[in-house]
Amino acid sequence: MTYIEKPVVPKVVKLEEPAAKERKILNMMLNTGSDIYQGACKKRGSTLKDEYRKVCGVAYMDPRDMAKLGVTNWDTVKVTTDWGEVAVSSVHSRDAPHEGTIFIPKGPWANVITSHETYCCCDPTYKGIYCTVEKTDEPVLLMADLMRAVYKKYVDDEETIPELKSLGEMPVYKKK
Amino acid sequence: MAYEPPVTDYDEIVENCTCAFCGCNCDDLDYLVKDGHVVGVRHACRLGASKIMEDMDQRLMVPMIRDETGELQEVDWDTALDKAAELIAGAIRPIFYGWSETSIETMKHGIRLGELVGAVLDNQATICHGPSLQAVQNAGYPIATLGEVKNRADMIVYTGSNPMNSHPRHLGRYSTFPRGWFRQRGRFDRTLITMDPKYSDTAKMSDIWIGFEQNGDYGFYNAIRAALKGKKIDQDYVSGIPKEDIMELAEAMKNVQFGALYFGLGLTHTLSKQRNIDMAIEMLTDLNEYTKWVLTPMRGHFNVNGFNIFMAFEMGFPYGVDFCRGYQRYMNGETNTIDLLTRKECDVFMVIAADPGAHYPGGAVKHLAEIPVIQVDIHWGPSTEIADVVLPGSFVGVEAAGTSYRMDGVPIYMKKAIDKPETCRDDEWIMRELLERVQKIKDQEAAVASK
Repeated sequence: MTYIEKPVVPKVVKLEEPAAKERKILNMMLNTGSDIYQGACKKRGSTLKDEYRKVCGVAYMDPRDMAKLGVTNWDTVKVTTDWGEVAVSSVHSRDAPHEGTIFIPKGPWANVITSHETYCCCDPTYKGIYCTVEKTDEPVLLMADLMRAVYKKYVDDEETIPELKSLGEMPVYKKK
Repeated sequence: MAYEPPVTDYDEIVENCTCAFCGCNCDDLDYLVKDGHVVGVRHACRLGASKIMEDMDQRLMVPMIRDETGELQEVDWDTALDKAAELIAGAIRPIFYGWSETSIETMKHGIRLGELVGAVLDNQATICHGPSLQAVQNAGYPIATLGEVKNRADMIVYTGSNPMNSHPRHLGRYSTFPRGWFRQRGRFDRTLITMDPKYSDTAKMSDIWIGFEQNGDYGFYNAIRAALKGKKIDQDYVSGIPKEDIMELAEAMKNVQFGALYFGLGLTHTLSKQRNIDMAIEMLTDLNEYTKWVLTPMRGHFNVNGFNIFMAFEMGFPYGVDFCRGYQRYMNGETNTIDLLTRKECDVFMVIAADPGAHYPGGAVKHLAEIPVIQVDIHWGPSTEIADVVLPGSFVGVEAAGTSYRMDGVPIYMKKAIDKPETCRDDEWIMRELLERVQKIKDQEAAVASK
């Protein structure tokens, strides 16, 4: 089978003086789009699985930016835009160098923070959005939990969301 | 990735199937079938193979309705269809969105249902290549089939697109690598150029990578146009590219025998949207004064182009067609799904073979969380998490036959290879049933009103 655990990412390269330029928050540009790992996982239908979180809930970053923030592969970062904020894993980009830009594959995580502005052209602005990136301790949620926490469609009391039990990696429904 | 031995344990091979993933619609796949399941796929790319060998854990098997506790409850087909028909018949501003991963035969019933209830019919083009269709209306459509490019092209340009990630067989089967009638040496007879701010996997294997600035597409094409017209470029750098390089590139593009330009979502999703593509088409118009150039949008789903062609043929407009006044209307920024959702106009949303939960921006999904959502799909996805009625369909190209249109507009009949799970139904059957049930409700309402 074509199952994969995580996208193949190179190890973070140690920079000479990362501490000299260390920063708490980085101002970056966000791009979203399709990626072969995201596409394969989404179209196979494995969207509830941890695998989908590993291929979609990630921010591909330049190693220099990662060093500035003090994060390594599979650490958690919070990405914030004018439209929302989401916790994703930071991973070393295969397409580096692209300092100042992060790439999040399209999916529920990326779309919490993309712009719905169409400027009367029917198409939302998925690419070229200003964002900030910072290190965080918040967990990267599984797809079902993320949809519940962000859109709250079937939640009675919003305060209780962090305490609710995870919806898990398998479909949950009442059988006849 | 670890080595995976070839699949040898299978009952039969079904040859010449059509891939139901991207707009390449590769029609040379062989499915290895065992006990009524596809256990292996030959010739497909990673994306196509993973879609066809689906994850049965998350396959939608039974119709479901959300109960008062907010949990999905398995019901029988009659109950689910009646509930969906009731929602659709009672809606004031329904949207039927999706259609790109189902057959033209299903859309036929969808249009009739849309006309009956005054819905907005829209497809994935509204969040991907919608601006391309607008640009085609603005500036023309110099298209060629993929076969023509394979046989003739000696320069291939990908701009704002990464086919190695999203259309992995496009280079291998249609554009760059295959030997063609006039390109006997295949790859060696062609020049491959990638224009993309990102050093993408396609850029890595190209002869030339032009990494212009983010949002720099418009300025860059304009600079090439200026160079083609023999004008002087005043600035030293345009969109981060030195002017000497632009002059050299324009000269190279002028001196090919047959060029093909493929563009993707890098152009449509940035700020200039359709104006980027306007300019790319105008650039081709200028190039065509010297030699032959063609252009094709890199369509994502296997039938996203089919919906646009079918709608344009039937209704005169390619997508975002609004029937609320009883006749078809199309107005960009007004009758498109994202605008309708962010303005909170829509009151019932039906999604057919698409995943708005995963692919709409959060601002639009927020309104979906406030209204009833009907889902017709094959897999449990982000949209199922916000769906109130779930109708399990069948997999076109594997479990059901149907017509689809390739990215260049060539219709392909996709054959059926295996049987669908017993509890699922064909998309076509679901749409026809919904149409009949909504018609019945409307007839009853009319009979009551006339008394």
